[in-house]
Amino acid sequence: MTLNSRRRARSYAVALAAGALALSACSSGGGSAPKESKEPEMKAQGITLGSAADSTGPAKELPGAKKGGTVSVLQRDAFEHLDPGQIYVSDELIMQTLYNRTLTNYRIDDKTGKVKLVGDLATDTGKSSDGGRTWTYTLKDGLKFEDGTPITSKDVRHAVERLYAPFETSGPTYLQQWLSGEGQKYRKALPDGPYKGKHLPKTVLDTPDEKTVVFHFDQPRAEVPFAVAMPNIGAVPPGKDTKEKYDKAPLASGPYKIKNFKPGKGIQFVKNDQWDPKTDPIRHQYVNTFDVSFGHQWVDSTRRLVADKGADKNGMTWTNAVDPSQISAVLKNKDAMARSMTETQPYVDVVSINTDRVKNKKVREAIAWAFPSGQYLQQFGGPKGGEIAGGLVGPTLKGYNPDFDPFQKKKYPGGNAKKAKELLKEAGEEGYELVYAYGNGDTHQDASVVVQQALERAGFTVQKKEIDQTTYYTQIGKVDNKYDLYRSSWSADWPSASTVVPPVYGGKNVYNDSANYSHLNVPAVNKEIDRVARVGDLNRATSEWMKLGEKVLTDEIPAVPTFYNRLFTLWGSGINGTKWNPIYGAVDPTAVFIK
Amino acid sequence: MTTPSQLTVAGKTAPAGEDGPGGQPAGLSPRQLMWRRFKRDRTGVISACVVLFFFAVAVLAPVISSLYGKDPYTTYGLDRPELLDPLTGYPMKPNGGIDGEFWFGIEPKLGRDVLTQLVYGIRTSLLIGLAATLLSTLTGIVIGVVAGYLGGRTDYFLGRLIDLLLSFPQQLFFVAFMPVVTALFVSPQKETPTYFRVTALVTVLWLLGWMQLARLLRGQVLSLREREFVEAAKVTGASPWRIVRKELLPNLGTPILVQSTLMLPNFVTTEAALSFLGVGVVEPTPDWGRMFAKGANFYEGDITYMFFPGIAMVIFVVAFNLLGDSVRDAMDPKTTR
Repeated sequence: MTLNSRRRARSYAVALAAGALALSACSSGGGSAPKESKEPEMKAQGITLGSAADSTGPAKELPGAKKGGTVSVLQRDAFEHLDPGQIYVSDELIMQTLYNRTLTNYRIDDKTGKVKLVGDLATDTGKSSDGGRTWTYTLKDGLKFEDGTPITSKDVRHAVERLYAPFETSGPTYLQQWLSGEGQKYRKALPDGPYKGKHLPKTVLDTPDEKTVVFHFDQPRAEVPFAVAMPNIGAVPPGKDTKEKYDKAPLASGPYKIKNFKPGKGIQFVKNDQWDPKTDPIRHQYVNTFDVSFGHQWVDSTRRLVADKGADKNGMTWTNAVDPSQISAVLKNKDAMARSMTETQPYVDVVSINTDRVKNKKVREAIAWAFPSGQYLQQFGGPKGGEIAGGLVGPTLKGYNPDFDPFQKKKYPGGNAKKAKELLKEAGEEGYELVYAYGNGDTHQDASVVVQQALERAGFTVQKKEIDQTTYYTQIGKVDNKYDLYRSSWSADWPSASTVVPPVYGGKNVYNDSANYSHLNVPAVNKEIDRVARVGDLNRATSEWMKLGEKVLTDEIPAVPTFYNRLFTLWGSGINGTKWNPIYGAVDPTAVFIK
Repeated sequence: MTTPSQLTVAGKTAPAGEDGPGGQPAGLSPRQLMWRRFKRDRTGVISACVVLFFFAVAVLAPVISSLYGKDPYTTYGLDRPELLDPLTGYPMKPNGGIDGEFWFGIEPKLGRDVLTQLVYGIRTSLLIGLAATLLSTLTGIVIGVVAGYLGGRTDYFLGRLIDLLLSFPQQLFFVAFMPVVTALFVSPQKETPTYFRVTALVTVLWLLGWMQLARLLRGQVLSLREREFVEAAKVTGASPWRIVRKELLPNLGTPILVQSTLMLPNFVTTEAALSFLGVGVVEPTPDWGRMFAKGANFYEGDITYMFFPGIAMVIFVVAFNLLGDSVRDAMDPKTTR
């Protein structure tokens, strides 16, 4: 989360390890001397699906929790989308947990931080039949929108069908693709969405009664419970759907509703009195108002939260990190450290190699050996900003192998120039010219110095191109871009590499603005993706995806993995009940209260 | 053509004038008088030395670097892990890592040598500032004198041009202008060359920097051209070029010199501001302004890093401004501040 450009990554999918991270208890406890402060340890665990009992509300009260008060939230980037169908970037994902409920959702234990997938609108995580081809969800009783109308299966159907409309462009597409076809093909099933009276056939999406939603797929789909936890699989009332305008004023189903959205400036969330805590196993409604303001650079939010004066006492941030330049000052400040956390995010930072331009695999291998991941990470905040990455798939996923490091990034923080030189010589490409593109910000400029130096040491010629930060992702997202190396970051949408390998390295996803920034389109990989997608068993599938992720890196080298992101963040002394949301890689607001 | 006789008259009178006080020590030229007054002004002399010192440092940057044995590009701190704290990226040693080897310490995070960075950075900034000052001064003189002397419609249009340019937000203009020009002249596959960036910077600073001087000179010329000695020159049939050169310009020396000595530090700080915004000189070319900006980021963890470029900048700007004042006092002692 160290990067300005991160915000434009529509591709930031998000996500994480349900139940996946057991974080060491004292991940960043107060009193420890700066040099000894511990970093989170990760243990990938099995994915736990909650039972129907886990899915019934209300959520367990926090000891000492009080009601009332206003929490001010300092965020750097303005929220662009409020329509749950359009939300796919990290800070908006955490924001929507306040007002948007989905069929299933992640329940984070207040004490252990363990995550369980439970029913949210639905009574459980779904019943499958027909060998995993049919999934049935039953809605809870007592669900209401903020205007008091009850939530029915028709509203869920409408929420799904409106994702087929042409204006819904930036949300996740898993469920739509599984129901109606890959790529953008699914849109043909309902070209105008549900707005002209058409619906998906009952053989695809059925609502036999007011409470039941049935999905029919053409092949077994083991991961449906996770796909329906994405923010866009919730409920939208057909009568109140204002299409594009819904993006400014969506109807809330959660404990808070939107008040005063000022694009680019801020937004307020106030209590939704129609929300019934008995239906919700995940969220609380302790605070009266969340007052979110945008435009706070990390330096600014860090200073204010460290100073802890006035209204900032009740201040927090969901995704702003401690600015790298202030890490040492915060580490020395015991008072501030007691109100901080350092957690591993589900994002993996990689530097993609444009395989359309760098076709020679030996050259790509040389780049991977030469890349100075350790020194590079140092520019993004060192151990507080992330952990050197060995592979392309993040450590929060099941089956992650911490010893997988084919290019010995951990051993050679400055890159292995010797090995790279040999490879370049073998390929007969000494002095190979690389165009390294970077978003023009302080940190990225510093990082470019390190990258250029290491690659030139290995015998490359480097042309650095700076790109305006605000258009960075658009520029590198063009399939015919003229760059060879550029960074991006991606995270799994749920704790399975199935949400990493196919979208980022699948040949079907080479199009403008796709997450496949390497433009990798190799028959062997594509075939494997299709094969593993048909594996019906959840546990076997996840480990096969993980293996495929490793194979892609060693065989094709489409990107250099650089680091797994961490978030080191603070909150005000007046706030309690903060916990880590490992799914979205952010501080979870749903249990926050004022002391 | 019409005035050979007048020229000879003028030629005769001039030496006659010099003959009069010839031999007497009191007959110093205005320039000598000015120099004498300037030497008496201690602040001025000290400022001049400081300014000269900065220029010497800039010119001698490679020499300093080779004598000292470090260069501004090597990331010493990253290559030698004992120099930087891996957790925070700040130097391990106190005071920004100052020791016998790194006299001014090392840069946080990248671990480069601060002394050579500063010396080379001063060179970059001064070069840009100086070039922009020279160009702006020349342009300002030409346009100001032309507008003032010709008057009428020319004056009107030049005046509106000056208004237009004065209303341009310089930094915003540059932020918008740089990518466009880069796209025009630089292949998308090649790095933007440093000389190109420097040229673009100088050009923009120049285009948007000459107006104050021009406007000032126009006013001066407007009043001067009504004076008797100009009238006399006109009557004797002197060409406009001659009048401008011999009658007007010598009287404009003071504002020109004072304005340009104030202009230079102004350009240096503007350049620094542009680098701060990320549109000026980029890594790895050392740049004074960027160091200053970085120092502002690091000050909570490593105040020493901000200290050197910051103090150097303050000293430079103050010295140059004091020098400008002293020069004005020396040239025109009657003016009150």
